[in-house]
Amino acid sequence: MALPPPPPPPNPPLDDKRASFEREALVHLDVLYRVALRLTANPTDADDLVQETMLKAYRAWDQYEQGTNAKAWLLTILRHAFINEYRRKTRHPETVDIDAIEPYAVFPEVQDEDPQGAFFDRIVDDEVLRAIDQLPEVFRETLVLSDVEGMSYQEIAGILEVPIGTVKSRLFRARQLLQTKLYDYAVEMGYIKGSPA
Amino acid sequence: MNCRECVEHLYEFLDRELTPQLEREIREHLEDCPPCEEQYDFEELFLKFLKARCKTQGAPPELKKRVLRELFGE
Repeated sequence: MALPPPPPPPNPPLDDKRASFEREALVHLDVLYRVALRLTANPTDADDLVQETMLKAYRAWDQYEQGTNAKAWLLTILRHAFINEYRRKTRHPETVDIDAIEPYAVFPEVQDEDPQGAFFDRIVDDEVLRAIDQLPEVFRETLVLSDVEGMSYQEIAGILEVPIGTVKSRLFRARQLLQTKLYDYAVEMGYIKGSPA
Repeated sequence: MNCRECVEHLYEFLDRELTPQLEREIREHLEDCPPCEEQYDFEELFLKFLKARCKTQGAPPELKKRVLRELFGE
């Protein structure tokens, strides 16, 4: 009597690694790209930064605890790669004193004329992205992680390696500063009467 | 809770980052204070606007192919 065929061998570990990486890491490619683009302000550098992040992440995949927060883990790798290798060539080191920046609240300015903020609707995507790119880096990265990618204060604090209180204050000021820029732009374009600061 | 405290915590309230107690206090204040409620609506709209304007962008298809090629030799 012929023996039954042997059971198929279990997947080799490499396939397991690949499958779990595709399932948990590669699905975040869009997030990584959006953040990379805002950090580098250059599509070619953003491509390279994402590629490098994915290579580093794949090499370190054994250290990632599966089922935890892959998005935050990947963004931490991306940010380190950006700081170590890209910041020097993509942007000049910032000399902006962020404590000296004092954005004002836009709402009181528009309260009478446009309390619903309808003027925002007339501002196109590119203009918003340009305004974000003009924010100081510490504000920009905090705002993108929170307001574009929807991460919690705790997650952002982990990625940026700063206390939660710092995330809160940077986010508050980043939003106000961005509103100020967009408001000034809207006034300039005649979307709202107001008076630019 | 007065208006100044309410406005100070408005973003944390919108981000759902407050303790349940503080969240309740803000909610109660907003119900009774039309000017603060108006500002709340404005800030909420701004955050929605921001997300909508920035979220449309995704990784180019070529980048995904490049990453797969680099990782798995495809």
